Amino acid sequence: MAITARDRIRAKLKDGDTTVRVLLAHPMYTGRSKDENGKLIPAQFIQDIRCWRNGNEVMAIKCGTATARNPYFSFQLAGGAVGDKIMIRWVDNLGAKGVTETELR
Amino acid sequence: MMENSDKQRRQFLKRAISASTLALVASTGLLAPRRVLAHWPSDAFTADTVEDALLALLGQAQDIPEEKVSFKVGSPPSYAVNGASVPFEVISSLENIERIAILVDKNPNPLAMSIELTADVKLPFKSMIKVAEDSKIIAVIRADGKLYQTSRDISVDIGGCS
Repeated sequence: MAITARDRIRAKLKDGDTTVRVLLAHPMYTGRSKDENGKLIPAQFIQDIRCWRNGNEVMAIKCGTATARNPYFSFQLAGGAVGDKIMIRWVDNLGAKGVTETELR
Repeated sequence: MMENSDKQRRQFLKRAISASTLALVASTGLLAPRRVLAHWPSDAFTADTVEDALLALLGQAQDIPEEKVSFKVGSPPSYAVNGASVPFEVISSLENIERIAILVDKNPNPLAMSIELTADVKLPFKSMIKVAEDSKIIAVIRADGKLYQTSRDISVDIGGCS
């Protein structure tokens, strides 16, 4: 199933550090929930999220099924200058992918 | 007959050599793109108990000194109306944090998230997890090659279908 909703990302400079907030649009089905007909919804969840700053990989998050629907993350990066490119890529267990990118301001 | 076995031997030698060179090249990391971090650890994420998940991911953990870490779960703390999205926050003064793992004791698969940090990343780290029922949430931090563990109890009104 393709995921069409858009991911959102914000990066802000605060006290010399970068604050990044990410909201990914993903249903995060665990494989244990049922649809309205009582049939199990197959598992589909994000497994791997990576964050790049100006082409350098700075963080990787591995998710299990217990990560909430439409995963939200907030973290800080040391330093940073206005115009830095922050990129997030994710992959789920079925191979669906997403990229979202923003500029630090 | 003699010729045939000779040929086979040569072919075998050739293959062995090319295989070993390939292995050498691969081990130096020339072939693969720079991979700092490992693959998705499926043993750890599909483990049924906290102990198994931890062992598969990190190994044994020791208890964290309370003042070195602030781990908040739920809002207001220790309580969540909806278990489907329980916020948490990790702040720590430990140096050289390499990895943070979040586990929910009573979930079918306890390991919720494993965060691999580089020196560029600063805490706090905030995110949301699913919690199936009233449970203990464990944060395991790996810093300087040592493991630290802290936990919080949380009660949820509506269990997150996890």
